[in-house]
Order: sequence, then C-alpha cells, then structure tokens
Amino acid sequence: MKAVGARLPRYDGVAHVTGQTQYVDDIRVRGTLWTKALRSPHANAAIKRLDTSKAEALSGVYAIVTHKDVPHNVYGHLEALGIPADEPLLAVDEVRYKGQPIAAVAAVDEDTAREAVDLIEIEYEERAAFFDIRKAMDPDWPNIHQWGPVYPHFGSYNHRRVRKGDIDAAFERADTIVEGVYRPQAIEHCPIEPQTALVVPEANGRLTIYSCTQAMYFSMGVVAAHLQWPLNKLKFVGGTVGGGFGGKVDTASETISALLALKAKRPVKWRWTREEEFLVSSTRAPWHMELADAVTSDGWILGRRMTTLHDAGAYARFSPYGVTKHAFHHTGAYTIPNVHFDGFVVFSNRVPTTAMRGFGVTSVSFAVETHMNRIAEVLGIDPLQLRLKNANRIGDTTPNRVVLKDPSTVPVVLAAADRVGYDLPAEYKSMTNARRSGDLLPEHLVAQLGEPEHSSNGGGR
Amino acid sequence: MAKHKGRGIATIEYPTGMNQNGDPSQAWVKLKPDGRVDVFSGTVDIGQGSRTVHTQIVADTLGVPFDWVTNDNTNTDSSAVCTGSFASRGTFIGGNAVRFAAEQARERILDIASKELEIAPGDLDIVDGEVVAKGAPDRKIGIPEVAAAATWNYGELITGTGAALKPYADVNNDDGSVELEPHSAISYAACVAEVEVDDETGEVKVERLIQVYDVGRAINPTLVEGQIEGGAMMGLGLGLLEEAYPYYPETDHRGGEFGAYLAPALEDLPDVDNLIIENPSEDGPFGAKAIGEMANNAQPPAIVSAIYDAVGVWVTQLPATPERVLRALDGEKEPRRDGKRVIFDDPVSIRTVSSDGGKGFFETDG
Amino acid sequence: MRLTVNGEQHDLHSPPLTSLLTALREELDITSPKAGCHQGGCGACTVLVDGEARRSCLLPLAAVDGAAITTLEGLGAADDLSNVQAAFDEHYAAQCGFCTSGFIMAATALIDRTPKASREEILAGLSGHVCRCTGYIKIVSAVEAAVGSPA
Repeated sequence: MKAVGARLPRYDGVAHVTGQTQYVDDIRVRGTLWTKALRSPHANAAIKRLDTSKAEALSGVYAIVTHKDVPHNVYGHLEALGIPADEPLLAVDEVRYKGQPIAAVAAVDEDTAREAVDLIEIEYEERAAFFDIRKAMDPDWPNIHQWGPVYPHFGSYNHRRVRKGDIDAAFERADTIVEGVYRPQAIEHCPIEPQTALVVPEANGRLTIYSCTQAMYFSMGVVAAHLQWPLNKLKFVGGTVGGGFGGKVDTASETISALLALKAKRPVKWRWTREEEFLVSSTRAPWHMELADAVTSDGWILGRRMTTLHDAGAYARFSPYGVTKHAFHHTGAYTIPNVHFDGFVVFSNRVPTTAMRGFGVTSVSFAVETHMNRIAEVLGIDPLQLRLKNANRIGDTTPNRVVLKDPSTVPVVLAAADRVGYDLPAEYKSMTNARRSGDLLPEHLVAQLGEPEHSSNGGGR
Repeated sequence: MAKHKGRGIATIEYPTGMNQNGDPSQAWVKLKPDGRVDVFSGTVDIGQGSRTVHTQIVADTLGVPFDWVTNDNTNTDSSAVCTGSFASRGTFIGGNAVRFAAEQARERILDIASKELEIAPGDLDIVDGEVVAKGAPDRKIGIPEVAAAATWNYGELITGTGAALKPYADVNNDDGSVELEPHSAISYAACVAEVEVDDETGEVKVERLIQVYDVGRAINPTLVEGQIEGGAMMGLGLGLLEEAYPYYPETDHRGGEFGAYLAPALEDLPDVDNLIIENPSEDGPFGAKAIGEMANNAQPPAIVSAIYDAVGVWVTQLPATPERVLRALDGEKEPRRDGKRVIFDDPVSIRTVSSDGGKGFFETDG
Repeated sequence: MRLTVNGEQHDLHSPPLTSLLTALREELDITSPKAGCHQGGCGACTVLVDGEARRSCLLPLAAVDGAAITTLEGLGAADDLSNVQAAFDEHYAAQCGFCTSGFIMAATALIDRTPKASREEILAGLSGHVCRCTGYIKIVSAVEAAVGSPA
C-alpha cells in the first residue's frame, strides 16, 4: 500500500464541500474594525497637502495611518536577493499609479470607514502619465521613477544580459533570419477570495495576523521589516487560501492592517472589494519581446538575438527577478548555442505588476513557441520535426550554462504526436532524449556539450 | 465567409524553485505515543493540494499508512520556514523538506526498534507501519509499540527535521553565466490546440486541447490533473479572453467587475485530453519535478498557431480577440523581406515606435 | 425580518437593505456563502431561496422576508454528505474551495429541477459561476456523477 502515486483524497476535501474550511474572512473576533484605504485617483501626481483631522473626528473612526505611522516605509520584498527598495508602503509626497494607497482608516464598520476616507483632505498636482514602454528610452521620456526609465541594478548593467557563443558568426552563417515581435498582455490573478487580512493585537504584545498570503514566512518578514519588529512578536495564521496564482505573494493587506490594529488597539480586518482586486491589485505584467533567429535551410537554429521589455508599472516589486528568470529560459525547450539576450524592467505609470503563474516564462514560452511555428512556416519544415531536431538533450547546455540531465522535449513531442495521430518519419519517431550524436550532433552543437553533474538530494539534509 | 479549423502545437519547459535558489523550505515531524505522525510544514495550500502531497510523501518515507499522518501548515509558531507557495516549489522543495524530516524520524524509529528487537538498525526495514527484520519477517515490532517504548521506557521523543535549500546563485556576470545551478529540476510539456475560427466575426473557439506533461513523478495523479486542467483554462484565457488593459498600452476601459473582465467561463470549456509521463528527477521526492505554474504556458502559443493554421494570419498581441483576428485578416499577411531577413510585425516594433529607433534598448554593447 | 435558515427560524436585526449575504455571514455567522465580489458576478455567495439558487449578495433582506434559505451547512454534515457534496469530494471538484459552496448550491438546485440533466443542461445551469482553479472539468464531472447517482 503505497501513498505516492495513489489517487488519495484531498486532505481538505470534506471540509471544502461542507463549508467548514475557514478562510480569513470566516474568522470571527469580537470587536473587529473594518478598513478602507484612500487611494490615488491619478496615475501620476505630487501630493501637495494631506490632512486627516476631519476624518479622525468622525464618530466610529478608531485609527488612521499615513506614511508617518510606518516605522520603515520603504522596504523591498526582495532586498535579500539584491533587489533594492523603491516603493513606499504608503505614499509620501507623490503617487505614481492610479490606486496607490496614501492612507487607511479603521472604523466600526465599512460605511463609516468609507465616509472617513472621503473626509481626508488631499490636494494633488497632476502630472502627465506614461504608458508605452517602447518609448521609454526616447530622449523626451520623463523620469517616472527615481532610478530612471529602467531598473538599473542588474549588477553593473541596466538590463539582464546573457551572452553565449559567437552570435555574429551565427547570423553570418545563417541562410535565413526570422524576426518577430510578441506582446502578451497583463491579466488579473482573479482569485475568487479577495485579498483579506485580520490582525489581532494580543495581550502579550504580539500581533496575530490571519493572512491569505501564499507565503507565511515571506510575508511575516515583510511585516516585521516595516514594523522593525523581531519575528517572535508576530504570528502568522494561514495556510488555507482561496486561490492565489502569484497575486497573494505581494503582502498587500497585512502590514497596513497591522499598523491600524496597533494604533487602534483593536482587531482590524481589511477585505478588498472586487473592484480593488481588478483595478489596483497588481497584475501579470505586459511584455514586449523581439526575437531574431539565425536559421539554416534544413532547420537548425544557430543563434538567437532577443530584446525583452517588461512593463513593471510604477515600482520594481518582483520584476527584476522575473526578467532574470525569463532570461534563463529564452531558448525554451531547445538548444541554441549562440545567444545574445537583453531584458529590461521598464517603469510606467501602471499599477505595479507582479508574479503570476509562470512568472517570466509564460511570456517567453508564447514568444518562442509562436516563433518556432513561424520559422517552420518560413522554411517549409514540419513544426514537430523542427522541435525534435533542436530539442534539449542530455548534455546540452542552457543559455546560462547549466548542463541538462533529464530533459523531456523529445518524449513530450512524440507523445503529443502519437496522441493526435500525427505522422512523423521513422528517424524522428525513434528519437529519445539521449546525448547527441551522428546527424543530431552537427558542428555548431559540439562545443556546447557538457557533462551533467549528478547530485542526490536537491540540496538539503 | 466561413468557419475554418486549425491546429497548432507548442512545447515548453519550466523550472522548479526560485530562480537563483536561496529559497529554503523546512519541516519537522514528530510521533505521538501511539505511533501516529504529525507533520509541520509551512507550505500554504492555495488549492494545489500541497497538504495532501506532503502527507503522501511522509507516509511512504516512513512506511506508515497515509491516514496515520496529519499535516499542520496553519501558522508560523508551529511551522518552520517555507519560502512560499510560488515558483512551482511546493512538491519539490517543500516535498524534499518533509521527506528529509521523515527520513530522520525513520532513523530514530529504527534505533529504538533495534534496541527492542536486538537487531542492528541496518538490518531493519519499515513496512506498512511495522519495523521488520530483513529476511526474517516474523521478527517485527509495530511502530505504535516503538513510539510507546520511546515515550514510556526510553524517555525519548521521536522527531525529525528537514531543510531543503540550494544556495543562492549569483548571476551578475557579464555573460549571464551562473556559478550554481539556478533551479532544481525542469519539467516539460507539449500542447496541441484545435480551434475553429470564424473569419466573418473573428471569433475563435478552442475545441480541443491535447496536453502532455512530464512531471517526473505524479505523487498524486488526480491533483496533477487538477493543475493541468486549471492551467489549460487559464492558458485559454491568456490566449483568447483576458486583458487587464483592453487598449494596452493605454489604461482606459479597464474592467472593475466580473461582468467586464473575461475570465474563462464554463461556456469556454474545450475538450481537454491529458497525458502525464514520468521522466524522474534524481533530486526530487520520489522523482517528482514541478507542475503548478507551467500549466498555463503552452496554450497561448498553441492557440495562436492554430489560428494561423486556420486562417493564415498571426495574432501576436494577446489575447487574440475577435477584433485582433479581424484586423489581422484585413492587414498585411506577408512578412517584409530584406536580403535573408524575414521580418514579421514591423509596425509594432520598438524600432518603428520609438523616436530614435530604440537605441537605448538595442545598443547595449558600447 | 424573519428567515428560516437551514430549517431554523431567525429574527434578523440587520437593516432591510442589508444583503442576504452580509446578514447570513455577519449576523448569523453562517460563513459558507462567500463574499467573492458583491457584484453578482462570481456566484460564490449562491444560496437556495425557497429552493431556487440565488446570488445572496444581490438580495436585500427586505426582498426575502419570510423565505426559507438553505446554505451549504444545511445540505449535509461531514458524515452525511448529500449526493452533490459527495460527488464534489470524490471528483476533486474543489481545489482552493472558495467557489465550491456556490457551485454545490447551484448544482443542487439544478438537479432538483432537472434530475436527469444532460451535460448541456449542467453547463447552462452552472453558467455564471467562476472557478479559477479547476478549469471546471472536475466540477462538471462531479455534477454529472451526482446526476447519475440515486438520490
């Protein structure tokens, strides 16, 4: 009786079908206050004046927080990975996207909180907003971001770059160069459970944070950094989430709720409206990718030049991480020995974009795979044969020089062909993922071959 | 004016774990005095089923029935670090953490059983909740008795801890090379999309998706299917429906409600045919690789290529809405040719749109 | 306002324009109907009002005074699952589970009305409910199984 490989029932299946699963919104704590945020109505503006006194005077309002209440307002979620901080938790003297939070209110109910938000006095000086990232390096592009038009901290470069092989020679040798532009869109994560946090101040000075985060320790680190607290003063309760898809890595509601709870000395709950989910929560990023492939008439891809622009929106968040991941996968499931890749994180006045299912790679898969089919069309070659020929094999190296040990391009293509009754010549049908040799080891793929390193435990003890 | 059928393929790969690593998952297990097992892992179950998968991994690593194992992932006081449920890391990295913890607990069980049976630990095995002497199956002791002996006779708590971490890999080299492998395993998939395109309305209907996934090892095949099926619909949304900025790059006409945002609905459901293959990873728990995220990556290019197969135009700005399909049908269908260059999509390129040809993006080598 | 909820009578004190969803969740602590959008767009708040599947976020209390409401809590407990609940569990039709209550209530009403519902009738009957996790496939399989099983 083995558990692994068996179709065992979901751990939480019965709780789900009886309504017993408790999400954050289902937790009940007596005396809980409700939260609403003051958000920017402008995509780009200076804040000239902010006065919360009338709102504070409203009956039923227990706490209002602005940037002045945040011990450490500008904290980067990926500082540990060398991505510096650029985004305030609550806006200080400017707003860079429509929906950016400026202040938050905790009140006895949602209506009172909403009324208090309306009573906050604020004056803006609106600025022109910019959205077409293709023009971000133009001489007349304004400085949306303190770092300039693009994220500048990829080591000493303002872009993630990958160089491998001799790209000029590959393009020289090519029979055909196929060029294309690919533009996948921003989408909403759209979990059915909206962003929700409930923060309870405990008698011993700790905060219990009921959270819909996809990452309890990660989010706890974010809250602790903003509060400048040690981790033992926080307890995250979660682990059960109504859908995430990457959008609940942002720690979007916990910190502000915690600040309100501390100030009000009462439990505070913040449940975003669906409208907030759609309009001001982070989205998957829009991407702009330009590919040029150096190919031979018989279907070998000798080299690839690629320039990627990632629309980060107003702040960096996880975008530099996503572009690095994108860079490492820009040859897809194929082995291309000569590459020249530049990836830019470009700032705009859009809602900051973030991780979403397939982060960095969903975009490049769209570009690479559509491009593969275009190459097949241009060359008059079967698209499956083109894939099988250039497929990752054991011993091939990736753009960043990792030697592959268990690639499956060949088995999945052959299985798909079989599944749809697609006829392939015998020499293709018999292919495997084994190390290249013979006709499948043309001269241009010899130098890139390596020896896979074998380990046994994926790192750990 | 007619409806046209088309077919397109895409083949993808996707890594396990955070790019550049440095993303630990840790876990611990303990035995109750009757041998039942509690697992503490901080892995958030966002619906993918990680609690179930981790329980399965622990059950088989220890050699106990599945229903002996509980899994507490509910809070940061009882659980150790898990970097999070993202980057397709729950089964592989989170799964390795609980595996390592269970392996350590297994050693403690064998140590105590060894004292009780007076047989060296190396000569013992665990089968279905019993510690059994190799080659002498009648010499055995149940794990409940081992746990009771540990508790009441030896004054010991049988526990195990596990920590899975590949160290952070720096990538700030000029050429993009890395010192350490930037991921733990790579999964692969192929997807064939079959569509019907109405060349009068521009509407595209995905009729069938045929999908093949190599997940290394399907710890729970039904949960893997769940990821593949959910991903298929999300990929269909990416390919045809969803758009946070319908007039991108402009920001007007955003949808603030379900009625104004086209999340894939029941009406969009195609016939989905899935095949899971297992090309194991030597590093993953029981050979597993990852599945979660990649499940929505292959459909958009397969669908766009199927549209080309059906009506002969490439729609390379997603989603392929009826408007975009019709505009493509009305527009220039042939790429521009310049010597040996075959140039698609010229009008939307940086070099066309930027006032200086996008020098800052293209001239990066000084 | 007076409601019968899962067979029990309640006098509610929420104002008459309070949504049925908010009254159930905040006044009666019945939390299976979920606040997914408060726009009538996702279906997660669906309950049975006199046997008919309705979006509780769109119904003011005043419009349901005297009605009999059934929520997921009223269908079957863990050891006594209804056909539809059991089918959802057996077919892994719930992943994150947040939309599940709405789907089960809609499916229950559908099967009540159309005991031999065809696949097309199932798709139409559940239309308007959004699930972001499952791709709907296992949900439809579950409802098909529930249709085929004896009541």
